[in-house]
Amino acid sequence: MRTVGVTLLAALVLGAVLLAATGANPLDAYWAIVTGAFGPDGIQDTLAYAVPVVGMAVALAIPLRAGMVNLGGEGQLVLGAISAIAVGLHTSGVLGIVAALVAGTLAGALYAAVAAVCETRLGVPLLVTTLLLSYPAMSLAAYLVRFPMRDAGSSLPQSEQLPPDVRLPAMGTGVTVGLFLIVAAVAVYAVVDARTPAGFETRVTGWGPRFAQYAGIDRPALTVRLLACSGGLAGLVGAVVVLGFPYRFIDGALITPQYTWIGLLAALLAAANPLGTLVAAVFFAALTSGGFAMERATQVPRELTAVLQAVLIIFLAAATGLLRKRRSPA
Amino acid sequence: MTRQQPEPQAAVTLRGIVKRYPGVLANDHVDLTVADGEIHALMGENGAGKSTLMSILYGLSQPDDGEIELGGRPVTFSSAAQAIDAGIGMVQQGFALFDTLSVTDNVVFGAEPTRRGLLDRRAARAAVAELVERHGLRVRPTDRVGDLPVGVRQQVEILKLLYRRARVLILDEPTAVLTPAETERLFDVLRGLAADGHTILFVSHKLHEVLSLSDNVTVLRDGRVTMRSATADTDRAALAAAMTGRDVELDKIYPPGTPGEVVLAAHGLTIGGPGKPVLADVSLEVRAGEVVGIAGVAGNGQTELVAAIAGLRDLDAGTVTVGGVDLRGLSVRARRAAGLAHVPEDRAEVGSAPRARLADNLAVGFQRRLARRGFLAPKAIRAHSAAIVEQYDVRAAGPDAPMRTLSGGNQQKAILGREMAHDAPVLLVEQPTRGVDIGAVVNIHRRLVEYRDAGHAVLLVSAELSEIRALADRVLVMYEGRVVAELTKDEATYEALGLAMAGGAS
Repeated sequence: MRTVGVTLLAALVLGAVLLAATGANPLDAYWAIVTGAFGPDGIQDTLAYAVPVVGMAVALAIPLRAGMVNLGGEGQLVLGAISAIAVGLHTSGVLGIVAALVAGTLAGALYAAVAAVCETRLGVPLLVTTLLLSYPAMSLAAYLVRFPMRDAGSSLPQSEQLPPDVRLPAMGTGVTVGLFLIVAAVAVYAVVDARTPAGFETRVTGWGPRFAQYAGIDRPALTVRLLACSGGLAGLVGAVVVLGFPYRFIDGALITPQYTWIGLLAALLAAANPLGTLVAAVFFAALTSGGFAMERATQVPRELTAVLQAVLIIFLAAATGLLRKRRSPA
Repeated sequence: MTRQQPEPQAAVTLRGIVKRYPGVLANDHVDLTVADGEIHALMGENGAGKSTLMSILYGLSQPDDGEIELGGRPVTFSSAAQAIDAGIGMVQQGFALFDTLSVTDNVVFGAEPTRRGLLDRRAARAAVAELVERHGLRVRPTDRVGDLPVGVRQQVEILKLLYRRARVLILDEPTAVLTPAETERLFDVLRGLAADGHTILFVSHKLHEVLSLSDNVTVLRDGRVTMRSATADTDRAALAAAMTGRDVELDKIYPPGTPGEVVLAAHGLTIGGPGKPVLADVSLEVRAGEVVGIAGVAGNGQTELVAAIAGLRDLDAGTVTVGGVDLRGLSVRARRAAGLAHVPEDRAEVGSAPRARLADNLAVGFQRRLARRGFLAPKAIRAHSAAIVEQYDVRAAGPDAPMRTLSGGNQQKAILGREMAHDAPVLLVEQPTRGVDIGAVVNIHRRLVEYRDAGHAVLLVSAELSEIRALADRVLVMYEGRVVAELTKDEATYEALGLAMAGGAS
């Protein structure tokens, strides 16, 4: 924990040097980030951005806890979103909302499970199957919103809007009650991880695959289950996003903000620890939305927060990597 | 190599060496004096500071205090390369050889003779052949290293040092991987090198080897020298007492058990391999209340045999039954449910998670049984851990201490306790005391005998003959994947075991 603090400080100092080099006052810029992220105007943006990032971070943390990497988060996210829209457009009321959320979750879960089965049955590494299956899923969604599901009244590649009664109730601009679903998912993950035999077996597998095999843990079955949970949560995140403003699937809207990759980074840095993943994901989300605010408040370009983010990530990765190395004494 | 240098002096003096690691004083003012042409044994249990001291002499780490003299001149090494230049060489436990290259290529690698900037293979061959001849090694310079038995590979490592003109040779537990016959051959080579003026530092914890080989012996305990003696003036009991700080009962041979029904039966177990089969038609039976020992030099199929029984490796042919249940096609979990428990050879990779907490390590395999209404309470894990820690005398900072912070002996006691807590009819145990202190060895042996006497069947794989002799009611000797001898407890003498382990079937 102290290492993380020192690392943060070091990264902030280096960032200050970079900011000063561009002629900005580093303190003003940092203050702009903080107020922009957590101030009365910024907190909404931060939350709106944090919901999908935290969701994806936890989704990817689930298999990571067992040392398995799901690189197909984008595909599962998009597939969940488009499935939720497809169902939501043909239903109504609270049942419709539930059906859309369930459809998104199932779509993501099944799709990730396919990638898992490719590893356990065919021996293709999970890294490869998850990543490669991601592309056809994104392409399928892109096709659907350009042709069969396209909003006839628009020239953009986007679906029709969901009917007003099949939308998640808003709690402010950009934030819906989906927030509670994601918070619940984090809580469930934390409890399962710490307090159930399944979570224990997942951690044992993460400690050492040969130890887990020796102890009688069925790795293929675990792989399929973890990937299904991971993809299911990713699909739910997709569903939650499209059931919020602007209540439709817009091609690329789930990819451009980098929810998946920022989430993966958070999960990796926290070694998939539930609380750590949550903190890291919120931190990155705040940094991003604070960056927008900094650009508005000062003359510093937003790209600098990307640089700052990169500096932080490299420093944190180095610090945690060093810790890991020290664990194997001569 | 043709360049002529003055012969480096070989006498080594370490004076007042201090080395601190966080929380540990690894070397506490250690003095060590070794004369020219002497074979000096450095003894001590794991963590006594032997390896630290040798890595300081070999330049791999720097002392916090103290000085090193070589041939009467003070020296400091900041790297192994400098130590090598000064005439110090070390054979580490794991060999650093290229399997696909010839002996000659391996020996000259990194210090190849050259002629006008090109490799001079003829000079290399001549130099290596000359060394082999001079020191009476049984190595053919043209052989591919990958085809050589372990004992010969070790001689290649020694050749590498001699080629680099090392006068001081450090050997770290060199006999761990050797048959008794190979060990004898190594000792002959070392005696010849000493007679030739080389100084040998022999790091070991095996009492009889130290007594038969060395001229003088220094014993370390907790970083301090506890004994310094001419080997002729000491004996096993004194050395063991100096290593452990108390009197230890050595070479106890436990009385035989009273075998009952056959619990574990294996028939015709076979695993093919490239060339020779890894396991060839191995059959065995273990009865309740019986310890069956599998003796043999490491790498003759013992590991695969146990892995096949435990379900960690597929068989090409053969059947295994536990308590009448055919294990064919069963998962590891199902086999454990059928009545198997297993203490594996590789504690760090297979038997435990070094980074995880002790309590979690002890709960592995019990996570379903410890759960109440689907939830695994930290309290249940702690209670389970406390029971094993108490019963098996596991010394650790606490249940939250990472497994890797425990000593080897305590790690092993923890794993043994966890597996015995299953109370399974069959216990597979591999190398239960490898890297374990003498004090803990006695403890572990006693536990195994008690477990047997409680009516369990124990299949014990060990490369330590003394361990096989102490515990086994019956001994099967494996060589190149086959069982080449079956001996009763009385027949299993060192001579008979040594002969069978080298492939001389009875």
